[in-house]
Amino acid sequence: MVQLVGSLRRELAESLSTCKVLVVGAGGIGCELLKNLVLTGFKNIEVIDLDTIDVSNLNRQFLFQKKHVGKSKAQVAKESALQFCPSANITAYHDSIMNPDYNVEFFRKFMLVMNALDNRAARNHVNRMCLAADIPLIESGTAGYLGQVTVIKKGMTECYECQPKPTQKTFPGCTIRNTPSEPIHCIVWAKYLFNQLFGEEDADQEVSPDTADPEAAWNPEDTAARATASEKDGDIKRVSTKEWARSTGYDSVKLFNKLFKDDIMYLLTMDKLWKKRKAPIPLDWQQLENSMRPQEESPASGLKDQQVLGVWGYCQLFQHSVETLRLQLQEKGEGSELVWDKDDPPAMDFVTAAANLRMHIFSMNMKSRFDVKSMAGNIIPAIATTNAVIAGLIVLEGLKILSGELESCRTIFLNKCPNLRKKLLVPCILDPPSANCYVCASKPEVTVKLNVQKTTVLSLQDRILKERFGMVAPDVQIEDGKGTILISSEEGETEANNNKFLGDFGIRNGSRLQADDFLQDYTLLINVLHTEELERDVEFEVVGEAPDKAPPPQNNQEEVNSITNGNKDSAQPSTSSKAPAEDDDIMIVDSDEEEAAASSSVAATSGTKRKHPDAETGETSSKRPRTDQSAAAPTDDDDDIIALD
Amino acid sequence: MIDMIEKEDPVISEEEAAQYDRQIRLWGLDAQKRLRGSRVLLAGVGGLGAEVAKNLILAGVKGLTLLDHEQVSEDSCRAQFLVPVTAQGQNRAQASLERAQNLNPMVEVHADPGRIEDKPDDFFLQFDAVCLTGCSRDLMVRVDQLCSKHNIKVFCGDVHGYYGYMFCNLGPEHNYVEEKPKVVKPPADSNDGPEAKKAKIDPNETTMVKKTTSFCTLKEALEVDWTSEKAKAGLKRTPVDYFLLHVLLKFHTDKGRDPDPKSFPEDSQLLRQIRDDVLEALALSADLLNDDFISYCFSEMSPVCAVVGGVLGQEVVKD
Repeated sequence: MVQLVGSLRRELAESLSTCKVLVVGAGGIGCELLKNLVLTGFKNIEVIDLDTIDVSNLNRQFLFQKKHVGKSKAQVAKESALQFCPSANITAYHDSIMNPDYNVEFFRKFMLVMNALDNRAARNHVNRMCLAADIPLIESGTAGYLGQVTVIKKGMTECYECQPKPTQKTFPGCTIRNTPSEPIHCIVWAKYLFNQLFGEEDADQEVSPDTADPEAAWNPEDTAARATASEKDGDIKRVSTKEWARSTGYDSVKLFNKLFKDDIMYLLTMDKLWKKRKAPIPLDWQQLENSMRPQEESPASGLKDQQVLGVWGYCQLFQHSVETLRLQLQEKGEGSELVWDKDDPPAMDFVTAAANLRMHIFSMNMKSRFDVKSMAGNIIPAIATTNAVIAGLIVLEGLKILSGELESCRTIFLNKCPNLRKKLLVPCILDPPSANCYVCASKPEVTVKLNVQKTTVLSLQDRILKERFGMVAPDVQIEDGKGTILISSEEGETEANNNKFLGDFGIRNGSRLQADDFLQDYTLLINVLHTEELERDVEFEVVGEAPDKAPPPQNNQEEVNSITNGNKDSAQPSTSSKAPAEDDDIMIVDSDEEEAAASSSVAATSGTKRKHPDAETGETSSKRPRTDQSAAAPTDDDDDIIALD
Repeated sequence: MIDMIEKEDPVISEEEAAQYDRQIRLWGLDAQKRLRGSRVLLAGVGGLGAEVAKNLILAGVKGLTLLDHEQVSEDSCRAQFLVPVTAQGQNRAQASLERAQNLNPMVEVHADPGRIEDKPDDFFLQFDAVCLTGCSRDLMVRVDQLCSKHNIKVFCGDVHGYYGYMFCNLGPEHNYVEEKPKVVKPPADSNDGPEAKKAKIDPNETTMVKKTTSFCTLKEALEVDWTSEKAKAGLKRTPVDYFLLHVLLKFHTDKGRDPDPKSFPEDSQLLRQIRDDVLEALALSADLLNDDFISYCFSEMSPVCAVVGGVLGQEVVKD
């Protein structure tokens, strides 16, 4: 006779009250998840989140109220949950899950780990830790109305990294610096400019005209000549942007004229660039001021942020924000830097103004602050209900796992509208691990194409191993018979190697490198393919991981749009140009919210000064689901009953 | 009614803009304003009701009335998160009020301890949408019919163990807009950039297409005649849960309550019996719904509530 405790069979209810589970992330999904766990009867829960509460979280992260803004998400979530379930045993960590304290042993304490994350780096990391500890992981994500839940179990299912996910879209430096053609290019430029003037100067975030642009030269010798010529010019290359700005006292008019007049005039001299493109039109502060017309009263019906100002409006905004930021910098003291934050008004104003002025110069329609913020901050629209549904599904999958019913676990997609079969929720059978997976295969291996004479050891570490391959603290040896150590995860040990080229160590075509991350218990063998022919501003390419099911090719337009609007557009099901057949084009959605400094073929570097982890845009890949439902056609118009399975 | 309110309140405050930022970016400012002008009645503040309440309050409706005559029991505390553990014996709506209000101070939340069965017709007319959870079949049919006449949207739902359902009736003539991607032929000198001169589907730009659709009433939905040819053809595609719903509704009507884990053996027996009766009355085979359901339909499972509540809440918001 079945015995029930509430809705659950007794054995399950008992196992819930004794087991320990880990929730990674206390945001949109995390709050809902925590609530569901305690109400379902889980007694021992640990939750970790490095973030603090912001007012924009309050529309869905319901464990937080206005009075909690600024406090630790994990901590407040715990306190709120205890309010309605005082007997629960909850431990909160205000910390990053990538901190080495949370090692394999830490993970082994848990029967189940549930991700409620918003960025890929952390997901990759937790994926590896759960593989290393052999603990089942429930992965999930939401964006707008869409969502997805899946289960990852070593040896049984695909791991998070089995299917290649489209890497973050980045823009070539020359496009940003010389030939922007879309608003996003101008926005990225403006963010770089912010860093050059007020923040951490980054060699990959140059804003001045790129004299070495291969496209600009009528013949190759020209490029070199041009480069030397400009150095004599003083203004353009020699002096760091920040130093120059400081030397003028951050005079906004001088800054304006340099960026929006002088630099543009310089670009015009690179006439080859403008043969097939519309040439930029420089602005002059004085002229604009003189021809300024009084502003019309704008109707108050929309959000203030959604208004698009005129050119002079943005000139003024530029001036005001520069002044405010200058003061901020001054207050912070000598040698200090500001960190760009989309929720910091002057920082956002600055980017809005600078980006719009540049858009105007390059003949693009200007954008409202609201839209610029979306693009600059990679904001993913979010609502409470999607998270509620997904969190509910996470627990239901969790119950299956705890009942020992792993075979009944599924990947479940939440659509915006019921599909052709009237299903809003679509379950799919879990795929087995990919044999070629560079993470969970028994001896993971990849081939990387790069130029050994031009790739530095530091690049290998940061761009390739950390960003591309998700390692946190890599150790690298060369398989040269001597086991030469190239990179050590211990601070300082191999720092001297950083700026040397791989070629300097005898690495050449066909060389093999062994990269380890001991925290993740992960070893990756890298085959080096030397090449001198990489695309404009591309530093390396990962060669042919041909998965069993390649995602349908996305055309460029879609890729660009998926970046410009965060995940909003790419997350729309079935409106893409791909033929959906009878199933929807369902996307795997990573809901990513933080800014990305898009530089040449590289995602944002993690700065220790930022309070958020590695930032990236939302990514999608389409996956054809194999549903285990029998086919059903639509048409029953008598029924308003939609089946959720 | 919504239109009038929109004219009164054209401006979204800075505070609202900041808090609702992420959802405004999803469904737009107009939708947010409509939400902000709507009053909703929520009957039943159990597990499902609490989820729906949370979703609606967070979304930013103008007012939400929590209507529930039940008292807080020991089970209530386990079932939902709005009721403080110390509130046993109090009225469920009133006990949930404080936490509900705290979810979003910008919404007017009221608690009404009355019985929904006792409410006169015009009680319902003050609302733009009515959401019924855990109600009996007859009541739902009555309210549904009343509200459709007055252009008030009706939503119903319930959760039984692992099972749950939701129903919505937006009226016989429901006008809505659908966002469709725009096919763009850029003019000779394109403005968003000198790129792409070919016509393309531009996912960035959408047009709002006006559409109308018609919803059936709850009565119609429940009273499908399965002996008709048309219905028989549709039978295969109809989820078994539909029939389970009939069973559970009948149980509720007959016993005045839902299946209770504390009386599992008797209730299981009764459920089986009802299943047989219901299917027979509908002239369908008893095999359609097998015995498995019995052990899975007791009490309210929080995650199921979350799922159904989420979908239900979203439907209310979408309207």
